[in-house]
Amino acid sequence: MNKPHVPVEARRAFTIVGQSVRRNDVLEKVTGEGLYTADINRPGLLFGKIKRSNVAHAKISRIDTSKALALLGVKAVLTHEDVPRFLHYGSPHPRSASCTRDQYILDDKVRFWGEGIAAVAATSEEIADEALDLIEVDYEELPGVFDIDSAQAPGAPLIHEVGPGSNLVLPPVRVERGDVENGFAEADFVLEGVFEGGRPVPAYMEPNVCMADWDGSNKLTFWTSTQTAFMVRGSLAEVLGLPLNKVRVLVDHMGGGFGAKQDLFQHEYLCALLARQTRRPVRMEFTRAETFIAGRSRHPCRILLKQGFRKDGTICARDMKIIYESGAYGSHSPGVTTVGTNAATSLYRCENVRLEGCAVYTNTPIAGAFRGYGVVQAYYALDIQMDEAAERLGMDPAELKLKNAVREGDIAPSGHPIVGRGLEACLKHGITAFDWIAKRTETPRNDPAQPAIRRGWGVGCEMHGSSAYPGIREQGNATVKMNEDGSVTLLTGAAGLGTGAHTALAQIVAEELGVTFESVSVVHGDTDVVPWDIGAFASHTTYLVGSAAKIAAGKLRAAVLARAAEKLQTPTEALDMVAGRIFIADAPDRGLTVADAMGPSKGIPADHLIETGSYTPTKSYSFAAHFVEVAVDIETGLVDVRHVMPVHDVGRVIHPIAAAGQIEGGIQQGIGHTLTEDYLIDRTNGRSLNAGLVDYKMPLSMDMPKIETVILEAAPDPGGPWGAKGVGEDPIIAIGPAIANAIHDAIGARFHHYPITPEDILCALAAQKKE
Amino acid sequence: MRRFEYHEPASLAEASELLLCLGEGAFVFAGGTDLLVEIRERLRRVHHIVNIKRIPGLDELMISAEGGIWFGALVTAGRIERSSEIARLYPNLHDAVRNLGSIQVRNRATVVGNICRASPSADTIPPLVADSAEIEIFGPGGTRRTALAEFFTGPGRTTLSRGEIATGIRVPPPAEGSGRVYLKHGRRKAMELATVGVAVSLNRSRGTCSDISIALGAVGPTVLRAPKAEAMLRGAVLSPEMISAAANQAMAECTPISNVRSSADYRRAMVGVLTRRAVTRALEATA
Repeated sequence: MNKPHVPVEARRAFTIVGQSVRRNDVLEKVTGEGLYTADINRPGLLFGKIKRSNVAHAKISRIDTSKALALLGVKAVLTHEDVPRFLHYGSPHPRSASCTRDQYILDDKVRFWGEGIAAVAATSEEIADEALDLIEVDYEELPGVFDIDSAQAPGAPLIHEVGPGSNLVLPPVRVERGDVENGFAEADFVLEGVFEGGRPVPAYMEPNVCMADWDGSNKLTFWTSTQTAFMVRGSLAEVLGLPLNKVRVLVDHMGGGFGAKQDLFQHEYLCALLARQTRRPVRMEFTRAETFIAGRSRHPCRILLKQGFRKDGTICARDMKIIYESGAYGSHSPGVTTVGTNAATSLYRCENVRLEGCAVYTNTPIAGAFRGYGVVQAYYALDIQMDEAAERLGMDPAELKLKNAVREGDIAPSGHPIVGRGLEACLKHGITAFDWIAKRTETPRNDPAQPAIRRGWGVGCEMHGSSAYPGIREQGNATVKMNEDGSVTLLTGAAGLGTGAHTALAQIVAEELGVTFESVSVVHGDTDVVPWDIGAFASHTTYLVGSAAKIAAGKLRAAVLARAAEKLQTPTEALDMVAGRIFIADAPDRGLTVADAMGPSKGIPADHLIETGSYTPTKSYSFAAHFVEVAVDIETGLVDVRHVMPVHDVGRVIHPIAAAGQIEGGIQQGIGHTLTEDYLIDRTNGRSLNAGLVDYKMPLSMDMPKIETVILEAAPDPGGPWGAKGVGEDPIIAIGPAIANAIHDAIGARFHHYPITPEDILCALAAQKKE
Repeated sequence: MRRFEYHEPASLAEASELLLCLGEGAFVFAGGTDLLVEIRERLRRVHHIVNIKRIPGLDELMISAEGGIWFGALVTAGRIERSSEIARLYPNLHDAVRNLGSIQVRNRATVVGNICRASPSADTIPPLVADSAEIEIFGPGGTRRTALAEFFTGPGRTTLSRGEIATGIRVPPPAEGSGRVYLKHGRRKAMELATVGVAVSLNRSRGTCSDISIALGAVGPTVLRAPKAEAMLRGAVLSPEMISAAANQAMAECTPISNVRSSADYRRAMVGVLTRRAVTRALEATA
């Protein structure tokens, strides 16, 4: 990992915030001592497996489990006839607008190839697998729809009885500002394009896994790899008819989620039911193939984008229609559609906008929440069209983007005024640091040493909200305890997906409290113990839970100082606390350690100081501009991303290396989305064509470019701790259009889709030759 | 993992006998990097595993400029990769093993295993075919030796009959003034299966290309030679135009399919590009 460049501005004298302290979970991770859900064992453990359909759309006319049940070692088999018929959200935000209530635990109808239709618990995985083959199923096949067009064609077969009909997941989202007709009338020219996005999957390292165990009091203990432990608790309790205090959800280490692990994936309910029926613990773990088939992808999409421009580069009208393909269930489609559609109001200023967003059911695997949540698609189109406008205008694209960059006071997609001038700062910094103008204007596209190579440079921009407001009114909570030896315990419900969130939270607590980073330990991942948390998503953990932790730590600091003031016999206001030592600010020699202040003395027991912080945010926006160099081999069509300079405004960076890690990871995923990754579905029968990491091509370490990360603290947001904003989702958004724009710069071919394959490049070059 | 019987013969004769008796469902285990995955993914019905790692002599690797290479069935891709002599004398084979799977896989996988798997896209096969390697086989009828180019009968199929075990590979010594190149084409720089692989080995004497062989991977049911393209270049003073013409001929000689990795048209086009590049580089290497 390259150390990111963080230009130093005038700032409060931080001692822990802004330092890349050693992560508090790093030893467990690198030594293999860290426990992931699949590492946890129980005596008498059974292994659960799901039988999956081999048709895409059908009624189950008969399902016979007798042979499977007769197999030695099989302890239970469940079909739709054996499980509660409860219509649930799948994605656990039952009271929010993000999700769709359209799933049963098991149904007598199949809506996509690979949907779970039965579940087995057996004494070994092999026996469970064998039992799956022994379950006999007869289907009455139904005609299927496998793309947006056939799903929306008149008379298309309906996939769901619920919802607004016409295979729509939700009524179209419409946003209108200003006067679009008038805006187009004033335009000097109009650009119009159709953009299409593929089906990348998050491909988290740890496949979905859970384990269920019921105790004698009918309480369910449930280990799972989830970003949203309390939502899993809520959904399991709701579906199983239990009070919340009879479901305990545990999650320790996690191998990624990228948004997708906000959902429940069918196996959670089945695992709990199999365990209840057998009275034995049951574990279910997805194969890698199942993480594709039964996981959640980004929504494939089609975008019709039309914008009117004036000669000076002003955008006078924007008309966009975006259609997201939801797959067989709604999952996060309402949230994705709303956020993605609204995103197009912003980034590049335009007073007259008319936007429509739809999500359409098809008989394909489910699209859900995934890093960049609908915005990746919208800004891919928007940013590429800006590049086209610059070309038409004879302007430098970075200059045109800078001219139109959203800024202080503009209305953000959430309806709030934007704070600061973050996007302009990112663009300006990158133009200079990347030597953008010289690269674009003075460097030959041909490389004499490599005759088949054409070089090109591109820039892409993005903004993304921290927190899901206004879609969800969120709350972050933290409990901070001061122990009598001066050590501190933070209890948080925030999940640690692998991002380093718990380290950042401990840094915030230590900084605010005035103790060392090492003296703060973090308790997390146990819904019976930690304060309620909405889950780790929407780039909000540092912003939202960080603020709650800061509030709690601030209260605790006051309480500790009050106790020390008694002992020192000075007013509290005279005291300061740094690195676990309390002293009189004007006479720093006079002081005592936190342990001395807290500990027992002469028959007076130690104080028990516990404080909590609750925080309900609105929203802040982070910004980024990615500057990219590519090399295109015009004979093979291979695109090599050689150099990326991501410039991000995150308001206030808590842990620079962790933030840079998020950025580098986002770039890696974004390169994959743009060039190589696409989960392919046979559009004639709904079958998965590349459900595995052999033929689903993620870029790996050898494919990574030189990355020079720049983190700016240009536009701190008052809603986050010391102005900190989110960074999780941002880096995956700007890289895509930056690459597409750089390819255009290299070979003069414009692409309106992703992934851009070598064959696409060769076709475009062949078409150029014909012209 | 499914249940299977495990056998550990101490000699080739014992191993061959076992394979003969156990019949279908018995498989030789050396590196296991394909076999174990196939068992786990239920792609192959395996009832018996015959581990040949206890058989002496199969882990030998001999390399010299005069004698060429001989390596046994237990020699891993990693050992070939780390041989500086092979890197110097057979850069084509070195490049093939260097780009095979991951480091961990290369430390387990055997080259003979990669060959016996008979995948049309196997990286090690094109350079060995281009270098006229021979495969040695032990069986109930004794020992036989066959040209590697004639060993394959289809995807996953070879001339090995029941009870036969491939024991090693012999590669002739490199001729004076020869150049050899293997080019692999894929979407990733590592951990990749070849979309197309092209190996070219050529000899130059007194300014002409005295001999050449072109082997094409992943564009037919087995690794293919391109005899007509070779004939266009054999005995000639190579010019860029001739090389391009031969590359076009190679495109006509391959029989690619379309699948999720690539269309047939793209594979064919890459045969042209890679053949031209490989011949050019092999020629440069002779200088």
